[in-house]
Amino acid sequence: MAQSSFPGTNPFLDTSTREKSPNIQKISEDEEFEVTSPTDMTFRRANASGPSRDIFGGSAFAEGGSQAGTGAGASLFGRSPFDSGPPGGANDEEDDEQPAALPTGTAQQGFPNNYALGRRTSVSAESLNPTSAGSDSWAPPHHPKSEDQLARLKTAVSGNFLFSHLDDDQFKTVLDALVEKPIPAKGIKVISQGDAGDYFYIVEKGHFDIYINAAGSVQPGPDGLGNKVGTTGPGGSFGELALMYNAPRAATVISTDAKSTLWALDRITFRRILMDSAFQRRRMYEAFLEEVPLLSSLKPYERAKIADALDAIKYPAGATIISEGDPGDAFYLLESGEAEALKNGVPVKTYHRGDYFGELALLDDKPRAASIVTKTDVKVARLGRDGFKRLLGPVEEIMRRTEYQVDASKSPVSA
Amino acid sequence: MPSLGGLLKKRRTKDSQTLSSELPPSSENHSPPDTHEESASMQPAGSSQASPQQPNNAASINNLINNPDHASQTQQHSSAHGHNVDSPHQHQHQHQHQQKQERTTKGKYSQEDFLLQRTLGTGSFGRVHLVQSKHNHRFYAMKVLKKAQVVKMKQIEHTNDERRMLNRVRHPFLVTLWGTWQDSRNLYMVMDFVEGGELFSLLRKSQRFPNPVAKFYAAEVTLALEYLHAHQIIYRDLKPENLLLDRHGHLKITDFGFAKEVPDITWTLCGTPDYLAPEVVSSKGYNKSVDWWSLGILIFEMLCGFTPFWDSGSPVKIYENILRGKVKYPPYLHDDAVDLLSQLITADLTKRLGNLHGGPEDVKNHAWFAEVTWDRLARKDIDAPYIPPIRGGQGDASQYDKYPEETEHYGMEGEDAYGHLFPDF
Repeated sequence: MAQSSFPGTNPFLDTSTREKSPNIQKISEDEEFEVTSPTDMTFRRANASGPSRDIFGGSAFAEGGSQAGTGAGASLFGRSPFDSGPPGGANDEEDDEQPAALPTGTAQQGFPNNYALGRRTSVSAESLNPTSAGSDSWAPPHHPKSEDQLARLKTAVSGNFLFSHLDDDQFKTVLDALVEKPIPAKGIKVISQGDAGDYFYIVEKGHFDIYINAAGSVQPGPDGLGNKVGTTGPGGSFGELALMYNAPRAATVISTDAKSTLWALDRITFRRILMDSAFQRRRMYEAFLEEVPLLSSLKPYERAKIADALDAIKYPAGATIISEGDPGDAFYLLESGEAEALKNGVPVKTYHRGDYFGELALLDDKPRAASIVTKTDVKVARLGRDGFKRLLGPVEEIMRRTEYQVDASKSPVSA
Repeated sequence: MPSLGGLLKKRRTKDSQTLSSELPPSSENHSPPDTHEESASMQPAGSSQASPQQPNNAASINNLINNPDHASQTQQHSSAHGHNVDSPHQHQHQHQHQQKQERTTKGKYSQEDFLLQRTLGTGSFGRVHLVQSKHNHRFYAMKVLKKAQVVKMKQIEHTNDERRMLNRVRHPFLVTLWGTWQDSRNLYMVMDFVEGGELFSLLRKSQRFPNPVAKFYAAEVTLALEYLHAHQIIYRDLKPENLLLDRHGHLKITDFGFAKEVPDITWTLCGTPDYLAPEVVSSKGYNKSVDWWSLGILIFEMLCGFTPFWDSGSPVKIYENILRGKVKYPPYLHDDAVDLLSQLITADLTKRLGNLHGGPEDVKNHAWFAEVTWDRLARKDIDAPYIPPIRGGQGDASQYDKYPEETEHYGMEGEDAYGHLFPDF
């Protein structure tokens, strides 16, 4: 189990439950801490009374902790910042009884093997902005493909995390945007390890070898590519990280056939497609929500919050979204398709894109007054009452807001 | 000692944008700058102990030597006013005007105002140096960004935002920007030198933090996020590497490279792989609640020593894990911690604390934070669990790792192909 060798103390002064780690591995930080600079200006507080060892006490939890608040050195860490909490309160360390293990061992509880302990680099894509970029003026590239090709491409990326959450429209637009890239010879480096990456590739035809150099990039010399770690062929893909941000290529990929074909997609196109469709959907949601009288008093940021939290759900024709008599628990916006309300099996109303239903469920769980059954394939955006309340508080308060506003705008003579 | 006035180069330009976009200080923190000379004690090498009546006393050797007697009292002061530490130029008048009028940081200094010292950190676009002001002899951190690299990495907008956001914020747990300038090759940002080093280093040395210690740091981060979000600023790069410890062991968030004003929604994928929220990974558009997700990852990492979605394979594996959303909480975690984490590290935005009706209060009121007295914490009126062992003077950088130094000469004249892209510097 991962033990802590935190050299300070508990800021909350629960000395009785201070974590004990008798088997803790001493960290060699001591010598750093022991360095006494000739220019020591004694900036430390409250440590004048003791040698610095008292302060840091090696792996300080074992030693320093037990005397928290008493010794001069320990007082640096031992004062409770929140001295209300009774000992044994919420900040117990519960692992006291756990058998201690080496902190860097492989059998520790939950501690990943080979965990990368170094500093982590931030990553970033290009700044994209749907409004300033003029989403109306940009159309994604469209490179026609045969049904066969589309089917193969679909299979090729189906397991890829960047594609698996796309909706049908996004997915289709992305596939259409893939551009064919012939590789006319053997031995062509499609991507080189360490280079900036802008494209994702799917193999249509031919084979490619994958090399990784432990140095992190292609080196000069005959073995500069590093070790061959694999081969990919039709249906394979590589370079997907380039669709997220400009990261150095993790491997080199070289053609091994005289003629091969790849499909390529660049990051900006991919992200644009996703952003534009998400942005348009969002605008649609917000526009729909403005039409709901119950929610008409929502402030724009509240509407935005709801729009963030709507779940898109698809139903086939003939499916029942709401059953008459069931307790109401959610509110729906109709995004596409048609549905109708039935009372005792009799149609009473038809819903189209932009319509909403079930909004009274935001108020309480009264039984549904009608069933909603789809007439075509339907896409709805759903928000549960509980989620709504968690985001915006009780609907009653929001409705009260409306009445208030309406009253204020009414002329004194109107009833 | 040369006369101070003679050394001041007033190279200020009109910067109405900076002035008008100035933020009021945080709610915990809104005494006017000229009313609390005490608060310089949070920067103990400061001047207040030497001459408390003069918050901006001129450079003298007294500034550089902290009086230990005084230092021992510092925790008793309410020292939450990060904006009262001495600026490198020691403009007396700055502290006598409203804060709104003093935040002119564009083109404020030049390389000649500082003595370059060792490197404190390196990044994709440049490095951070320890520097010493030639005027007040105090130490600052100077971030140097290579313009060509920023342009190549397509980070122009983020870099301009970094400067703009840093210039707008004043909070005890956020690093202060004192001034910026540029030469033909680089952008320069002078900020507080925060002596205690990165929380990252402390965490790696400690393997993991005991529950109350993680709680303390998490609580300070929570207040900083609350402040940023109240000003519609999203931070987007929370991680231990970006959290510095001051000499008393309190946190300061640094590196505003991805900070941005976001009232509702934003789209750019950025952050650090381990800390990305699922809605960022899946390019759905996201809001400020990604910072609360990252707070969850941070707390997890502080308590466990590793991040919940890490995978040895590759970043792709990490992203798959993030989208899968399954977190394995080690059994040694406190129940309250698990409860809080499960409400921060959740893809469901109707459940993620910080994003809900109660806002940041929901986080602060969670049981895991029960012992935290938030107003005292905001005043730094709670002793930190660990005091960085800073033995030297204010410029003691011993808490920072060493990096190979570069010999590039700063302040070069010459063709400046990119200067127009960074009008704020």
